[in-house]
Formats: sequence, structure tokens, C-alpha cells
Amino acid sequence: MRAWFLAVPLVVYLAVFLVFPVGEAVRLAFTDSVSGTFPSLESFRTIADDGLFWRALRVNLALPLLAVALELVAGLGLALLFAERLPARRLLRAAVLLPFALPEIVFLTILRSILTPRGYLSGALVGLGAQPVDLLAPGTFASFVSVALVDAWRTTPLVFLILLGALVAIPGEIGQAARVDGASAWRRFWHVTLPLLRPAIVAAVLLRGLDALRIFAAPLVLTGVEGMPVLSTYAFHQWSDYGDDGAAAAASVVLAVVCVLASVPLLRRRITA
Amino acid sequence: MKRRGIVLLAFAIAGVNLVPLWLVVKQALTPERESFAWPPTWVPHELTLSNFSGAAEAVPLAQGLGLSVGVAVATVISTLALSLPAAWLAARREEVGSRLDGVVVAARLFPTIAIAVPLAVIFVGLGLYNDSSGAGLWLAHTLLGVPFAFLILRAAFRGVPAELEDAAQLDGASPWMTFVRVSLPLVRPSLGAAAMLVFLVSWDEFAYALLLQVTHRTLPPLLFYLSAFGYPGLSSAVAVLMLVPAVVILLLLEPALRSGVLAGSGR
Repeated sequence: MRAWFLAVPLVVYLAVFLVFPVGEAVRLAFTDSVSGTFPSLESFRTIADDGLFWRALRVNLALPLLAVALELVAGLGLALLFAERLPARRLLRAAVLLPFALPEIVFLTILRSILTPRGYLSGALVGLGAQPVDLLAPGTFASFVSVALVDAWRTTPLVFLILLGALVAIPGEIGQAARVDGASAWRRFWHVTLPLLRPAIVAAVLLRGLDALRIFAAPLVLTGVEGMPVLSTYAFHQWSDYGDDGAAAAASVVLAVVCVLASVPLLRRRITA
Repeated sequence: MKRRGIVLLAFAIAGVNLVPLWLVVKQALTPERESFAWPPTWVPHELTLSNFSGAAEAVPLAQGLGLSVGVAVATVISTLALSLPAAWLAARREEVGSRLDGVVVAARLFPTIAIAVPLAVIFVGLGLYNDSSGAGLWLAHTLLGVPFAFLILRAAFRGVPAELEDAAQLDGASPWMTFVRVSLPLVRPSLGAAAMLVFLVSWDEFAYALLLQVTHRTLPPLLFYLSAFGYPGLSSAVAVLMLVPAVVILLLLEPALRSGVLAGSGR
């Protein structure tokens, strides 16, 4: 049976809309935007001379670390919480999944209203007798943490689902055996539950880490292109504000290289698995 | 005592997670000036629907709604048409499956911006950039839908015993008839779930929509610009429009999601 033709439409589509654009991105990145000379390093020189690019690169490398760490702690905490017997469990679960269920742009625009200096958070703080805060001030550490926190809040439900699935798969007898042997709750968690969750934790970190490298909407909506730049928003800025295809493509290529390097551990795991 | 604390904590976390949704709905239904009030109001003082008409005056809202729906529906059709045959093949031929897997995962993980920028340049050349019917955006959204549809459908086809298809063919059914009459009906629940999920992926999509369209925008970029230019009430009205299908689809998908989670836990 010559059944392979069934995959042809998909493969052709991916060749045209994935492989070809990526090749085009590389060609654009190595083409001089002004003179059209190819190959040329002019576009890379343009972005290397731009302080905003270097800030974007640094933020792009640091942001996923903080965001994924926050998600992991929150997701694990929630999974442990939902492994307990809870009343109105389905309702509670729906509420916990809600931030991820909302369209990303809806969640981000309302979070901006919450975090701006005259937003709901400042209002609540003033109501409690504290000072208003500006958590989105351009270039501050506070805004870096805000972007990471907001992204973590939105994607924690994914980590939560992965870890909850793994957690309820652990046979109850294992915990009981440890309890019979006199292990405290903390020791049972540290020496029994956590090692058994390891594969799920690694999977969640890889999945979310690679996603977080591509972060675009959260920094753009919360802080604009210059407040807390990442490589994706920097490329968007070069393209839409300066019309510089070459510089935008060059920044995209840098991000793509970072993503490919970061996905090597993932691919290695797939091969050994 | 400890148990009461755990339950209290769970309800507190659930409550905090409801705050963004509550505030979107509140801002959408109160006059714009109330959204600028200091200190901010947490419950509406005055109810109005004027933000919806206001948003329609400020931006081409009806056009955006039509484009969002059109692009999402077209994306569902093209995604399923591409994924169905490939997913069946991948489920039946492990060596093909593992190879397609790698390509599809690459499509899922590659940075959007590194495709969107060259795609915008290519589309300018082809006349598909800012297309009034959203054709360019549709072609890009299909790329986002394919990994979801392919993986869901492949898992579903794996659940259809190959013996069933062999039996139908022994009875004289053509491979095509076997697929349409035997395999396809058995994966219908997954097909429905994949269709709804792909619709949502396109409906919620922001980055391609921002880069590939300028005057014919779908709802997410319209919402972004209304918010960025300082219209909390108007942008929340657009947000509520976006929420309606998202919430309906997620309620419909909830059983599938639950059984999916359970399937994962059964291993």
C-alpha cells in the first residue's frame, strides 16, 4: 500500500509555511536593508549597536528562569492542594484553570489595569493605608518581576495539570508504607513524592521553558516595546516602528538560535526515552 | 483544624483567580470615567452598555469580529484537512509517525516572531499582507493549529483497532470507505475537541494578527490598541466579546479535558 501520500499535504504545507519562512528570515538577516547586498552583516551590526537589543537579550534569558521557577513552585503547591479532599472540587479547579482559559490578550490587558500606578492594586494598597506602587515603571527590576509574575500566573495551570496528573498516579500504598515506617509528612514529600514526580517536573520545565523563551505579548502589553524588551518585542519594534526588515529578521534569528540551543536537552531526552 | 485551613486556602486561591475576569466584566459594563476613578471601584457604581457602541465607533469592531470568526473557521477546516490523513497514517505506521512528530513539535516550539517577520515580507510580495479577508493570517494560523490537531487525532486513531479496518476491507470496502465509515465515526469526539481547540487557538492569537494585518485587524490587536491608547472601558467591552466563544468552547471541552487528565493519570 502506498499510504505515504496521506502525509504529503501536511508535509508540503509545513515546507512552505515553516521551512521556507525560516530560510527567508536567514536571508533577510544577512541582507543589507539599505543596499540589498547579500551576504552582509550590516543588520547584525545595526542591532549590536543598539543598547535596546542587548537589554532585550539579557531580559529574554533571565525572564524564563524566573517565570518557570515561579510556575513550578505554584503549580506544585496547587497540585498538592488539589490532591487533598476538597469540597466543590470541580468549581475550585475551574477557577484555578481560569487564567489560562481566558484569551491571553484579555488577561494581559486587565492585568495592566491592575498593575498601573493608578490601578486596582495601588488602590487596594492605599485603602489599606500604604503607598501606591508603580510596578510597571520602564526598565526597573519591579517591572521585570511583574512581567514574570503575570506570565507565571497565566501559565501555572498548565504546570498544575501536568503535576496533578502525575501526583494522583502515585499509588497511595507508597505513602502509607512510608507513614507506617514513621516518616513525617515533610520527609514523605521530600523523599517519596518529589522523586516520583521528577519525570513530570522535568517535562513541565522543558515545555514551559521553551515556551517562555518566545514570550511576546506579556512584556509588550504590560510595558510597551521599551519598558521590558525581549527579543520578540525587539524584532517587532524594528519591523513596525523602523520598517527595518533586516534588523527584525536578525533579532529573530538570534532568538531562534537561542531556542534551538535550549531545545537540545529536550531532543536528547526524546532520543534516549 | 488543619483541614479547614487547607479548604480555606483553596477557596482563597480560587477567589484571587476570579479577580481578573470580574474586573474585565466590571470595566466593560461601567462608564469609561468610572474606570478612571481614583480610588478604583471594585463593584460597578453605574451600569451601562455604552462601551460596546463606543468601541464600535472607535475601531472597526464589526469588521474585526467578522474577520476573527472567518479566520478561525477557515483555520479549523484547513487544519483538520491537513492533519486528519497525516494523523491516521502516523497512527498506523510508527516509522512515519515518529518522523512527523519531530516536524510537528518543531512547528509548535519555533519562535512565532521568526516566522511572522519573514512571512509578512513574503506576504507583501504576494499581496496577502493585510488581506481584507484575512487569507494570510488564515495560512499562518493553520501552522499553530496543526500540532494540536495532529497530536489529538493521532492518539484517537491509535485507539481504533487496526483489525476493525482490516475486517471492513475483507468485506470488500475500499480504503476510502473504510476510513469514512469505520475509522472517522470512531474518532468523532476527538475530532470535535480538536476543532474547538483549533478555533480557540486562532480566536485568541495575537502575534501573527499584529504583524500580518494593519487596517483589517482581528479582535485581539483591536483590544490591544484600545488598551494601549488608554480606553479601559472600551477595551474591556471588546474583551467581553472575545470571552463569549472562549468560555462556551471551554465549557464544552471540559469533559474531554477531564478525561484527558484522567487518561494521563491512569498510566
